[in-house]
Amino acid sequence: MAKFAFKGGVHIPNPYPVEKPEIRQVPPPKQAVLLLQQRVGGEAEPCVEIGDRVLTGQVIAQTTGKLPTNVHASISGIISAIEMRPIPHPSGIDAKCIVIDSDGKDEWIKIEKCDKEFLNCTPDQVLQRIREAGIVGMGGAGFPTHAKITNAQGAHTLIVNATECEPGIMCDDSLMQEYPREIIRGIEVLMHACSAKKAIIAIEDDKPEALNSLLMYNFNDRISIEQIPTKYTSGAEKLLIKSLLDIEIPSGGYASEHGVLCQNVGTVKAIYDAVVDNKPLISRVVTVTGSGVETPRNYEARLGTSFAQVVESSKPSNQAHHIRMGGMMMGVDIPNTHYSICKITNCIFVNNPKPKPVVKECIRCSACVGVCPVNLLPQQLYWHAKSENIEKALDYQLMDCIECGSCNYVCPSNIPLAQYFSFAKALDRKLKRAEALANQSRGRFEFKEFRLARNKQERAEMMAAKKKALKEKMAKDKEKDQAQKDKIAQAMARVEQAKEAKK
Amino acid sequence: MHSTGLNTNQIMRQVIYALVLGVGASTLFFGWGILLQIVLGVISAVLVEAIFVALRGRNALESLSDGSAILTGILLAISIPSIAPWWLVVVGVAFAIIFGKQLYGGLGNNPFNPAMLGYGFLLISYPLQMTTWPVDFLSFSQAVDEVFNLANFDGISGATRLDDVKTGLSLGKDLAALQIHSTSQAWINAGFLLGGVYLLARKIIAWHIPVAFLSGILIMAILISVFDTQQHLPIQNHLMLGGTMLGAFFIATDPVSASTTPKGRLVYGFLIGVLIIIIRAYGGYPDGVAFAVLLMNMMVPLIDYYTQPKAFGQS
Repeated sequence: MAKFAFKGGVHIPNPYPVEKPEIRQVPPPKQAVLLLQQRVGGEAEPCVEIGDRVLTGQVIAQTTGKLPTNVHASISGIISAIEMRPIPHPSGIDAKCIVIDSDGKDEWIKIEKCDKEFLNCTPDQVLQRIREAGIVGMGGAGFPTHAKITNAQGAHTLIVNATECEPGIMCDDSLMQEYPREIIRGIEVLMHACSAKKAIIAIEDDKPEALNSLLMYNFNDRISIEQIPTKYTSGAEKLLIKSLLDIEIPSGGYASEHGVLCQNVGTVKAIYDAVVDNKPLISRVVTVTGSGVETPRNYEARLGTSFAQVVESSKPSNQAHHIRMGGMMMGVDIPNTHYSICKITNCIFVNNPKPKPVVKECIRCSACVGVCPVNLLPQQLYWHAKSENIEKALDYQLMDCIECGSCNYVCPSNIPLAQYFSFAKALDRKLKRAEALANQSRGRFEFKEFRLARNKQERAEMMAAKKKALKEKMAKDKEKDQAQKDKIAQAMARVEQAKEAKK
Repeated sequence: MHSTGLNTNQIMRQVIYALVLGVGASTLFFGWGILLQIVLGVISAVLVEAIFVALRGRNALESLSDGSAILTGILLAISIPSIAPWWLVVVGVAFAIIFGKQLYGGLGNNPFNPAMLGYGFLLISYPLQMTTWPVDFLSFSQAVDEVFNLANFDGISGATRLDDVKTGLSLGKDLAALQIHSTSQAWINAGFLLGGVYLLARKIIAWHIPVAFLSGILIMAILISVFDTQQHLPIQNHLMLGGTMLGAFFIATDPVSASTTPKGRLVYGFLIGVLIIIIRAYGGYPDGVAFAVLLMNMMVPLIDYYTQPKAFGQS
């Protein structure tokens, strides 16, 4: 058991538990819609064209820049479109996607079996393979994994986050029950890649089966497995580090700065696939659950498979549903199932519509203070966020909010507090951008003024100098003139004198 | 701190239920007057709230459904003398709801405890009516006659116990010779104490304010009895007399107007207790709960600001 439990948090039982969360394979879809926009690192640039035939596992797009990530074809077939499609995002925006029409063969690119055991590769080679496989954080953050490992080079501890603390999501639980060997092996790969001396698998104590299966395959004494109490937000990276190691990562700091690398257990499995089997990331495990399906279950589906196809297997009820991607606490609501599974789709909630709870005024009861895992005062923050008083909100540590939604969950007035905070953060970013822009413009303007003034002065100085030179010249000329005149006068006088003398 | 699993409306209702014991004890000792006052208080609270919310262009039913107006009506009704004339509670409740709550924007936006604001207003404006209490049990008809001013019975009313004591002590009378009525007062306070314990058990209120409130009273009462040679009310009476328990569990814990940080609640509750004793011992009014609470309400933004807990990762 972890010794250093954090304050706050809420215990929320899984609303739709299943007896044994096995993984069911979803057949490759007839059409795959692959998202190019990555959660971190911008939009990937397609390297195929419409009409090209691609094989499963082939790279079809790449992001450039600091955090390059590959996108691979998840089925074999013909590229039928590269166009804007709606993506699972709260704002309902469209983003560029590559559409592959399946040829039904699921023909793979030639996978070169690793010629050597990963331990004989250098960490750089392992990292390269992770990068090429297009792996990102599969717990939902979507941060490019190779970049995270690179930043944490020389870490003393690797933490494998298998808490899966958000109620309803079961994909990691099932992954651990079905692929314990691969996960342990994947951890060894990771330890090799970041040269960590020890690894801790953190697992919530409501997953005894997963724990047992990992214990059965763990023969590495540098890998320990720790159970932590089941409590929502136990899996938040900084809180997990606090629980396991009693290290409090300062606000704004990173785990890597303190010698800790945190990776989700699903990511670890993907790393195993990439490094040991040399398979890129083209599928993932996703939980389908909610009040609107008869059988909540986990599925392994190719990326780009439509939500509808996966949900179908769980026997949804015959009515309109509320669909949510991600967990019940931090997920995003989306209008329907016409979206496709992307690398961070860990869960699809299919709920029968429920009337929205009536939002009442905040009565400052402070239930939210008690559950806030990062020890904020949500009721005060709410006050300032609502009145868009960002400066005050920042004073109350707005930026430390992890938007876990525990406060929403306990609020007796049903106020969506976390949404207010995420809005306030966005507003702050906007204001900061506007301020930066204004500063830049002012800087430019001031420089222009300065430049004009400088030019004017330089010109004035130049003119003055010229004038002075001219005056001097004129004075000299005048002197010269005078001298000439004097000479002439003298000469004349001499002539005059001579004339006089002749007489 | 607490998550009750209740919504705001249910929380208000629970608070109302928790008042039953104290109100029951009061009825048992002093008769039907208090129930009459509650009925008057609730009716006027509902009417005033409905009219004022409608004037503000909001949904009156939705606003009434939160139960906060009814709670204000009840709290004020049980704070004033049970034989007070009918219009007293009506005026007080109207003031509490209009000036104490709605003018600030309704529930959740009021800096002061509305019931105590109404009480303070009444005490300043109508000191005679506010300090005339029944000395004995009143039958229902007697109570009706008193409240609606139909007849006056001699000898059924007197000043507040605390008032009596205060006057008596200032006249140099011996404490033992004064009728403190401490038994009935203690029973009523015990009723509110039990109701408060219920609220604590249901996690509707946190322990911080009541505990700090009572410690404030206790410590200040001890200090005064030790350092002030003048004769004062015995310490135990301070805890079980007047509005102590009602104040500790039902008034000071009003979440809207109280401090909201764990540390802040301790400061807030403690200082209310201290102020109550100071007002009781040296102030011009017999009991100090209302003014102590109102004074501390004003301090809440300051207290909250300086008692922010350390956020995770902040040094």
